[in-house]
Amino acid sequence: MKILLPAAAAVLAVGLAACTSQSSDTADATTVAVTSSASACDVSPTQAPAGTIVFSVSNTGDEPTELYLLASDDSIVGEVENVGPGVSRDLVVDAAAGDYTALCKPGMVGDGIPTEFTVTDS
Amino acid sequence: MIGNYLIGLREGLESALIVSILVAYLVRTQRRYLLNRVWIGVGLAVGLSIAVGTVLTFGTSTLTFQAQETIGGTLSLVAVGLVTWMIFWMANNARHLKGELHAKLDKAADADFWAVGLVAFLAVAREGLETALFIWAAARSTGQGSAPLFGALLGIATAVALGWLVYKGALRLNLATFFKWTGAALIIVAAGVLAYGIHDLQEAGVLPGLDVLAFDVSETIPPSAWYAVLLKSTINFTPAMTVLSAVGWLVYVSVVMTLFVRKVRTPSPPPVKAADREQAGVA
Repeated sequence: MKILLPAAAAVLAVGLAACTSQSSDTADATTVAVTSSASACDVSPTQAPAGTIVFSVSNTGDEPTELYLLASDDSIVGEVENVGPGVSRDLVVDAAAGDYTALCKPGMVGDGIPTEFTVTDS
Repeated sequence: MIGNYLIGLREGLESALIVSILVAYLVRTQRRYLLNRVWIGVGLAVGLSIAVGTVLTFGTSTLTFQAQETIGGTLSLVAVGLVTWMIFWMANNARHLKGELHAKLDKAADADFWAVGLVAFLAVAREGLETALFIWAAARSTGQGSAPLFGALLGIATAVALGWLVYKGALRLNLATFFKWTGAALIIVAAGVLAYGIHDLQEAGVLPGLDVLAFDVSETIPPSAWYAVLLKSTINFTPAMTVLSAVGWLVYVSVVMTLFVRKVRTPSPPPVKAADREQAGVA
């Protein structure tokens, strides 16, 4: 039982830390529309100023899709999964200037459909 | 609609399994009076998930991807610790029950029962936020009317119904079998949660090795197929698994399963008589 209180406290601490230090204000964010279908991934616009970027992903296909934002070394900057058919979900990232790849994965399988995405100095 | 239905099912089934085993355990050991702690845990988790999900959906602030993955991954690891504790606590209690079944319960053990509420809370809260965000997204989507929301909610309802069936089935097992199988099932579920938590932390960049895959069978087992969803939500099998996740899964199962088998074998389980089953409240 004694281990439980610290465990609960740790969970709360993580949650609070995440909310206060890592949340982003979307009020002055750039919104990028992403339309993911079974065979295409339209990203518009394909560049945005550095800072908070909201990728609004709409799934027009028949299977769930997901969107990844990859850095130039292929590490994941952000991911939103479980975008069901007919559903729109947002991926929010804080991105520095650089070259990125926006990657739709219809059916959550395979290599995905890449689109080059540029973050400029703000 | 099928796609959204399966997402709802996947998000809900694992929580439903853990909670139904907990509830079955309390009922089988004549501790119905402690059920409210489980429901408080579940209620708090659902409430908290909906509240945070609503704030993030309609407010001006939102969690970054890294924050969400770090929270999810950390909660998973804490949940694994608590479920592991629960497995051995249940096994210990099973030994206490030997012989004088239910006649003289170890009341001291009841002090730990708040932990039961915490296990229930974590089991639900772990994926609760992602589920709440998904439900809100489905509710606000205009693409296919209310079909996405309906599908998602139906999926969660199916998960709850399956959990209820597991509960009913667990009540029919004789007590010795019940303890063995629920323990073993929880170990597999917990190992899956561990693998999943490791993967979350890899995605958040907290742990390395995201692109080092142990195997990738997503060509033969498409992740959106119904059987892949069932595998994912029961044993957390993912068609593509990183080496770190796979090693975590294997190490956890081999260590904990060995300890568990030793524990339940030490006292030879008493033959369960019909009278015991009645006493245990078999419906």
